[in-house]
Amino acid sequence: MAVVTPAAPAATEEDKELLISGSEAVAEALTLADLDVVTAYPIRPYDTVMQAIAKKISGGQLVAEYIVAEGEHSQFEIVKHASTVGARVFCGSSGVGWMYAMECLVVTPPLRVPMVALVGNRALDDPGAFGVEHNDALVVRDVGWMLCWIDTSQEALDTTLIAYRVAEDRRVFLPLAISADGAFLTHSQALTMVPPKSKVDRFLPRYDRGDLLLHPDNPITVAPQANEDWVIEIRRQNYEAMARAVTVIDEAYADFRRVFGRGPENPWFEEYMADDADVILVGMGTISLPIKVAIRELRAKGKKVGLVRLRWFRPFPTERLVAALSRAKAVGVIDRDYSFGSPFGSGVVANEIRAALYNAERRPPLLSFICGLGGREVTLEDVYKATDLCYAAATSGKSDPKTHWLGVRE
Amino acid sequence: MAETTTFGNATQILEPFRGVKRVTIEEYFTSGHRTCQGCESALVMKLMVKASGPRTIVLGSTGCMYVANTTYYTTPWVVPWMHTQLGSSGSAALGTAAGLKALMRKGKMKSEPINVIAFCGDGGGADMGLGAISATLTHKEYNSLILLYDNESYANTDIQLSGMTPYGANTTFSPPGKVKRLIHTRWKKNMAGLMAAGHPECRYVATVCASYAVEMMNKVRRALTIGGPTFIHSLDPCPKGWDYDPMLSHELGELAIETGIFPLYEVEDGQVKYYGKTKAIVEGRARKPVREYLLKQGRFAHFVEEDLDYFQAKVDEMWEKWEIPAVVPFRRLDATRAALSAK
Amino acid sequence: MAALICEVVYRGIFQKNLAARITRGIVLSARKSGRWGIAFGRYGDSPQRNGIPAKDFAIVADTKEELEQNMARYEPKHVDVTIAVDDTLSKGVESWAWYGLQPINRLTVPNGTLLMTSLQSYDSLLQDIHKKDAPYKLALIRAKASFSGLWVYREDHTEVRILGALAKIAPSFLTLQGVGEAIRESEWGSDLKVDSAKKAYERLESRDVTMTEGNAEIPYSFEMPKWWEMREGVTIPAIPVGKPKEAGKGYVPERNPYFKKFTTRTMRPVVNFDTCVKCTLCWIQCPDSCFDVMPDGTYDANMEACCGCGVCEAVCPVENCITMVNESVFDDNASQWEMWRKDKQTYQAWMAEKIGDKNATVRSHGFRFRGQYEKELEKNFEGGGAEITAGIPGENAQHKEG
Repeated sequence: MAVVTPAAPAATEEDKELLISGSEAVAEALTLADLDVVTAYPIRPYDTVMQAIAKKISGGQLVAEYIVAEGEHSQFEIVKHASTVGARVFCGSSGVGWMYAMECLVVTPPLRVPMVALVGNRALDDPGAFGVEHNDALVVRDVGWMLCWIDTSQEALDTTLIAYRVAEDRRVFLPLAISADGAFLTHSQALTMVPPKSKVDRFLPRYDRGDLLLHPDNPITVAPQANEDWVIEIRRQNYEAMARAVTVIDEAYADFRRVFGRGPENPWFEEYMADDADVILVGMGTISLPIKVAIRELRAKGKKVGLVRLRWFRPFPTERLVAALSRAKAVGVIDRDYSFGSPFGSGVVANEIRAALYNAERRPPLLSFICGLGGREVTLEDVYKATDLCYAAATSGKSDPKTHWLGVRE
Repeated sequence: MAETTTFGNATQILEPFRGVKRVTIEEYFTSGHRTCQGCESALVMKLMVKASGPRTIVLGSTGCMYVANTTYYTTPWVVPWMHTQLGSSGSAALGTAAGLKALMRKGKMKSEPINVIAFCGDGGGADMGLGAISATLTHKEYNSLILLYDNESYANTDIQLSGMTPYGANTTFSPPGKVKRLIHTRWKKNMAGLMAAGHPECRYVATVCASYAVEMMNKVRRALTIGGPTFIHSLDPCPKGWDYDPMLSHELGELAIETGIFPLYEVEDGQVKYYGKTKAIVEGRARKPVREYLLKQGRFAHFVEEDLDYFQAKVDEMWEKWEIPAVVPFRRLDATRAALSAK
Repeated sequence: MAALICEVVYRGIFQKNLAARITRGIVLSARKSGRWGIAFGRYGDSPQRNGIPAKDFAIVADTKEELEQNMARYEPKHVDVTIAVDDTLSKGVESWAWYGLQPINRLTVPNGTLLMTSLQSYDSLLQDIHKKDAPYKLALIRAKASFSGLWVYREDHTEVRILGALAKIAPSFLTLQGVGEAIRESEWGSDLKVDSAKKAYERLESRDVTMTEGNAEIPYSFEMPKWWEMREGVTIPAIPVGKPKEAGKGYVPERNPYFKKFTTRTMRPVVNFDTCVKCTLCWIQCPDSCFDVMPDGTYDANMEACCGCGVCEAVCPVENCITMVNESVFDDNASQWEMWRKDKQTYQAWMAEKIGDKNATVRSHGFRFRGQYEKELEKNFEGGGAEITAGIPGENAQHKEG
């Protein structure tokens, strides 16, 4: 049977600069990664990535099985199974679509299936709003998915390559969800460096499932039913795998920088003017953009404010984050998510950071904010308000732990 | 190994077994599964992979044939086997076949035809997983067999009714009581007919019963050889859910067919062909009365004459009124015209 | 005793409703003398499968605190009374994979009681029951094992006989009067049943068993791997494909080493290799792949794997070629074909004795038609069933009489 390979591009070590959206950047990365199987199902705003991939396939740049499923549950189950026979897979969804796939999402970590998925963060129904909220991706934070947030096309491309490198590392073999705010995915075209395949081949090894491969030459039974005599041992293995992921992520980024000549020194979070900041604001995703603008304005007025934009949420970079935040006089966490009934009613990220700081020698006052839900813009005024409250806490050395909702008509 | 190319896909060429003495001797689903005494579904598993041979990957959705076979942390499977979710048999078949195809096309895996079989129970297949199975049957470029083993209940959760449970049967969701004798009054879904009628590019749909073991295995082999996605519905007497002496498992399978309740047929490229005693019925042999079958089972012990009559009438309808008896419930075109002009 | 812990060891599904009645009956009877109690099934048994040994428990205590000490666990570690409602369970129970073969008296406390329904003699039973490292009592109710199914119940009074017997065994927790009251109040109770309970109380046989009595074989067990010894991805190796029996002929499958399943059977098939016509039907129709293919083309039911469903007897076209015989008349799992090959005459004599035993060939369980259980109980009600000496009512009956 004839072996099919994609049309080979001209041999070159040069990056190409393209003006592309985040979705298109992911499609470029998947093409370079020689993706094998992808499943699509329409839901806004993630599905532009599937449209971009379809073009790559019909244009001949990418050879992969492209299957349009009849629902998200099937969509994710199909690639889960393709992965177990050794195929490199990609999937994605948004909002309630991601929820419809939930049964599959929870089984992939114990099955050690290194699926890479794009979550176009979207508010959960009801109502059926399309705007950004982070709860959809966050729902899998306990079950063994790795989670990261990106906010530029370049980061989308680079992180997709890194995702396969990390997820498919035998020490890890866990699924990974890349979260992206819908707006930049679909509406922003940015200048993005697309590397040549030769560089990618030096960075990303083949997916090798080893002794877990489902194939007649390796007869195994995968996931026999278990009872109380077995489950906690299986969970313990996943705990270990997630712990090992920390090292693998550090290695992957270091290698990325070496091969591609770019990329962050600190994989875990981006620091913007945070070194000498009195007040540090923390957030994930494109909330960083208005915050950076506001920070420049505030700095011009003599206020030393900085930003930590968290890239990796699982595994959570506890020690490094604590080191970065303890220097500040006050920390303001802006959640683009909610967690009704949680301690202090705070959002998910705020409560995780509170927990991280619990044992720190120096625990600055921490304020939690909820803002930008359902796609509502995070305005400069919102950021100023948050900063003011943080400054008050920095001065007094204390903070009222109650959660502040910013930008609500009241 | 001999290969045939259909739709640009190679499949294994599995010739039909010419009689029981020529059946493969090896077991690819072996002893040591925690199933009931007399479990016909376990027999179906054994015959299914005996028919398919060792170059096979099996995906098993949640149900008796998952839990009972692998309780706990153990296996009776000799061929590679993986669990999949309750409603995922269609997706599992499709994903596995697509993964193999992608890797072989690109030279990342040695090219050979590997059988992909995904099984589901009546609950996982006719209820929850119906959508996924339907989708898979439209993908003619991927070879797979979806086998639905029908013990007429959600048996693994201790017997609850499904869309394939017969009228009036006792289950834990339909216990006969003083005020309501019959809670479950829905008629069984016609799964095989549904799959055949609804997916014009699916080349092979068949019904089987393990009581006719060689015929069942040959239909599995045909499904795996013909290429593209295929579907088989197996009726499995269940001593636990149906409440009967386990040694009657074989006999009840035969009775289901002899009463005309379960028809044996295949639809290959749109052509319907009846088998065995079903064929005899189509050719005029009298069907045994349904009560001979129903009253051998404790799940119908609460039936009164009215229930038996109703059941008989519905089965009579399948044979006397359906355009293609026991396959699709449409009426003859001229009968329809007559009915319309009479109004 | 501040608490009484009872376990009912039974054949899954066939005796599920019986076990539930017994454990609930224990609690409700003890309630009559002011005690607290709970009744529960063992979670690991669920979902139950026909014939696979299962356990239900009843715990009664003087105070709520004592009761609480025994709650919120899957299985008590020690029981005061082990109730076995099928005497073939005396050979030991294997309830799921990695469980191993556990003796019927494993959980019974020293000087506790093993209560069984049985028609066997003490000596016969003690050939099967494993030795225990402590003395205990073996109490017997003379009756056939009571089997039903999920939907139709066999009203042979076994549950009330057990309760009556318990009133004799543990009078400080269950009084006979309390038992009677609880029976009358229950959905399935009657005055006749109260009488049966009283009779069981009076007729209960019991004798002490010493540490030297019993089956000396060491039952098999398994050691569970540690978390880092287990392959990742919830993955285990498949079973290897089997091999020919001898000199390239025949076939013996490899079998799941962690779950043998033979303790599921109440009856086993006895095969007449001389009359076998090698039709293959038993081999092909066995849901458990029990039959090893012999070099001569006959089929040997492997006794380590057979779970006693009886389909082989039903499909075999030759009269008396396969006959199901009660487990209690066998001492081991030896291969019948090897016995036959070694000495055909001795085998024929052995076989004739087994399949000619009118009591041992009575079908132990299974619903066949409405009214069947009532018919069976018409005669010899107190023994738990009619003295049917035909193997199966109406089937091959004439070959098994006389």
